[in-house]
This record gives sequence, structure tokens and C-alpha cells, in this order.
Amino acid sequence: MTTQAQHPVPVVHLSNIKVTLGKRDVLSVDSFTLQEGEICALMGPNGAGKTTFLKLLLGMILKQTGGTIQLFGQTLSPHNQKLLHQLRRQVGYIPQQSLVAGEFPLTVREAVATGRSATIGLFKRLQPEDWQSVDHWLEELGIANLAGRCLSEISGGEQRKVMIARAMAQNPRLLLLDEPTANLDMGWREQIIQTIQTLYQQTRMTFILVCHELETVPACCRRVVLINEGKLQADGPLEEVFTPRRIQELYGCQMSLSHRNGRYFAIPDPIPSPPTL
Amino acid sequence: MDFFTSYNSLLLWLPALLCGFLSGTTCGTLGAFVVGMRIPFIGICVAHAALAGAVFAALFGLEGQWLMLPALFTSGLTSLLLGVTNPRWIKMDDNVMMSVLFSATMGLAFLGLGLFSIMGRTDGDVRTLLWGSIAFCRWSDVWIMLCVGALLALFILVFYKELQAILFSREIATASGIRTGAIWGGFLLLTALVFTVSLQSVGGLMVYSLVTNPAAAAFQLTRGAARCILLSAFFGMVSGLGGFLISAWTDLPSGAVIVLLSSSIVLLSALWRLGKKR
Repeated sequence: MTTQAQHPVPVVHLSNIKVTLGKRDVLSVDSFTLQEGEICALMGPNGAGKTTFLKLLLGMILKQTGGTIQLFGQTLSPHNQKLLHQLRRQVGYIPQQSLVAGEFPLTVREAVATGRSATIGLFKRLQPEDWQSVDHWLEELGIANLAGRCLSEISGGEQRKVMIARAMAQNPRLLLLDEPTANLDMGWREQIIQTIQTLYQQTRMTFILVCHELETVPACCRRVVLINEGKLQADGPLEEVFTPRRIQELYGCQMSLSHRNGRYFAIPDPIPSPPTL
Repeated sequence: MDFFTSYNSLLLWLPALLCGFLSGTTCGTLGAFVVGMRIPFIGICVAHAALAGAVFAALFGLEGQWLMLPALFTSGLTSLLLGVTNPRWIKMDDNVMMSVLFSATMGLAFLGLGLFSIMGRTDGDVRTLLWGSIAFCRWSDVWIMLCVGALLALFILVFYKELQAILFSREIATASGIRTGAIWGGFLLLTALVFTVSLQSVGGLMVYSLVTNPAAAAFQLTRGAARCILLSAFFGMVSGLGGFLISAWTDLPSGAVIVLLSSSIVLLSALWRLGKKR
């Protein structure tokens, strides 16, 4: 067995990270490592630093960051823009907001094809194999029937799938999803969770997803990192991270966990009785 | 107007017609991106910065095409400043900051106009910078517009897929490794260039509409980036050329006619869209 097989290069390695915006420390991470093929959920209250964590991995706040950020074994530096762009091409990013292109009549197929733009590089046109990849991901995500429609003409859930297809067309090694189920109805929320689960099982890629609710963590995700007040407070299986005591401390309410087929749900404990009229 | 009846008159008016054709097509093409990227306020700020630059240059005795150089300097500087400034640094919303800059650049332009009368000088030629005049169009203007139009077309052709990614989302485009900074900077400089060369013919107060209206109309009628850009360019061409023809026919200010024509196209497109929905 080779040395590399014994100590595989982690996809993400952070050490002694301190992010300062203005005079405020918004995130500090002593150490964090994510191995290839892992899926990890970042959870925590609003404003805890989850989105900042993703921006850190994308090298978007390097000037405000102290410490070492390594992606695929290479260190990000604001002084090496070429490497930064190369590494970013291997990271698929799906931000929080759903509608992105606004009123510009970009079609769904064109939007997904923008995922290939960075991969093939400057001064080159999309080749037939790039369009094949675009059509493949449209098919995989079940949105091939929407290919000719404008982004403004499809629903929020469909737009979320377009964003995932765009990121997958980029052929990334690491996928970052920022609250992929936010503002979706129950049906679409489940569809997106199932899509993430299927993608993970098919590709065994490395995933980091930011979640707010326990029930949106896919069953395949066995690692949850809890961020609160800009610090990593816990790292482990969901049921160990979200103990009733910690939920009480973080959210100020008494909840207990219930689970079925690997999915977890938080329910008030005890459930208050309805007011008598 | 007799230019339709006399060959010599037609030759005389040809630069004006070509200016209308070129400024319309160029502004229409640019508009698809400016409106698509939701930065129309950048357009209005840049247009007024160019106007302020030209007015102050005229105050210092420059005239004709020489007015373009300071106009290009102020508009280019404004567009780059807007491109690199993050309004959140000073806790200000993007649109509020643009509004402040828009009023500041317009205030500067009108201050320049006011100084003309204080200094006891005539400002007739400079006032046409506000509303535009086909009388300004000479063959040299045609060549300048042709060069700027070709530069814009080349930029779009070379960076088409990157511009499409920025149209989808600048944040995602940057995150996926596209060098959005350089492309964004180049696009803003081209915006300044297009606004500046269209200043004399269309007018500083009107050029902004020639950029936004054709795009707004095209967005109503079509799907797909390429078709939308081509249709926006076509509507810009119809507005520019048609506006100049009507202006030449009626002696009305060309800028005002162009804006009213392009606004009518937006109205008709919106009505067509409404009719189609029913």
C-alpha cells in the first residue's frame, strides 16, 4: 500500500482560520478536514457563520482570512490568482437565492451550459461533448422538458434543480450547497433532498451542505458540523450533535429527536396542549 | 425635408443616417447586457458623467470630437469606480449609491452649463449635448462609431460564454473560476465608450433610453440569449435610424424622437406579450 493510500489528500483542510470583517471576528476554525467522498452538513442558528464558511472555501474572503485553507492538497492564496481560479473550477457552488438571471430570457439549457464555461477556459467555444454533458445533467435531474423555457418561467423548485444541474455540468470534485431547500414547499423540498441523495450515491463526490432544519439533512449524511457564534462547536453524527440540551441552549426551545430510515425530525417535547376556547 | 428627393441631399445626410443606424445598433446590443445584468443605473450614471466631462471640456474651449476625450475619461472613471466599489463598505444599498452618483454627475453637468452664462459665453453647442442633434454627425463620427461598434461586437464574440455566465449570476460565475473581474472591467469600459460616442448624436439625457428600451422590448418577445441580443440590436437600429429619419423630416430634436420611438416599441412589445398571455 502506498503512502498516499494510507494518508489520502483531504478535499478540504483548514487550520487556525480566523475571518475578520471590519473589526469583528466572524469565524474561527482551529482545524477542519473533509475527506474525498464525504458528505457533511453545516448547521447552526441564523448568522452563525455557515455562509461565511462556504465563501471561505471558495476563496472569496481570502484577504480577510488568517490561517491556512487547503483544497485538494493545495493552499489558497490571494497572491496566486491562477491557482485560485483553477481550484474554483473543481468546486460546484449553489448559493441561497433561487432566481438568478432575473428577467434576461436565458433558457434553462443555456443556464446549465454556463457550468461548462469556466471548465473549458477562455477563448474556447462549447464543443458538442460539452452540450452532451449539459443534456445529460438535464436528463439526470428530470428537467430536460424545461430545456427551452426561460428561467423566469419555471418554479422555484425547478430553478433549484437548474442550479444543481449547472454545478454538476461543471464536473466538480466538491459540491457546496447553501440551504438548497430554503423557501420550497414540502413536495419540492423532498425532491431536492432525494436529488442530493441520489447524486451522492451515484457520484460519491464530496458534498458540503448548509441546512437549517434537521429534516432536510439527507439520510446519507452521517456527519454534521455545528457552527455557533462563528465557532465550530460540535462535529459528528446528527444524533450526537443535536442533543435535547444543545437544542435548548442554541434555539431556546425543548425538542426531542425522532428518526426513521436515517432521517431525523425535531418535535417539541412536551407538545403543548392546544388552548381551551 | 428634401433629402429624399435629391441625390446630393441624400449624400449630405448620409453621415447622420449612418450615425443613427450605428448608435442605435450598438446601444441596443449593449442594452441587452446592461439590462440583463440589472445595472441600468450604471448606464444612467455613466451617461451623465460623460455629459459632465464634455460640458466642462467645452467650458475650457474644446470643441467637436475633442469633447469626446474628457467625456470618455469621466465616463470611464465613473464606470470603473462603480465596478470596484462595494456600497456595503459604507452601509449603502446599491441603488441608493447609484442614485446619489446619478444626481451628482447630473448636478456637475448642469453646473458646467450654468458657468457658461456666468462667464458670458454662449452654450448653444453644448446644450445640444443634452438632447442630441443630427447636425453634429459628420463622417468622422461615423468612423468612430463604426470602430466602437466593431470593438463591442468583438468583445461579445470573444467572451460570449463568460458574459452568459455573468448574466446568469456574477457570484456563481466568480465562484466557478471565471475571471469575472477582468471581463467585468472590460465591459464597463466599453459601456463608457458607447455612451460617450453616442453623446453628441443622441444626447446625454437620452442615450440611456436607447440602451434600456430596445432590451426591455426584446425581453418581452423572445427566449434565448443570442436571439435576445440580436432582437435588442434590431430594435435599437430601428429606433436610431427611424429617429434620425423622423428628426430630419420634421426638424424635431433627434434625441427626443429616438427615445419616443424606442418607448413606443417597448409599449407595443408589452401589449403583444399581454395579448399572447390571454
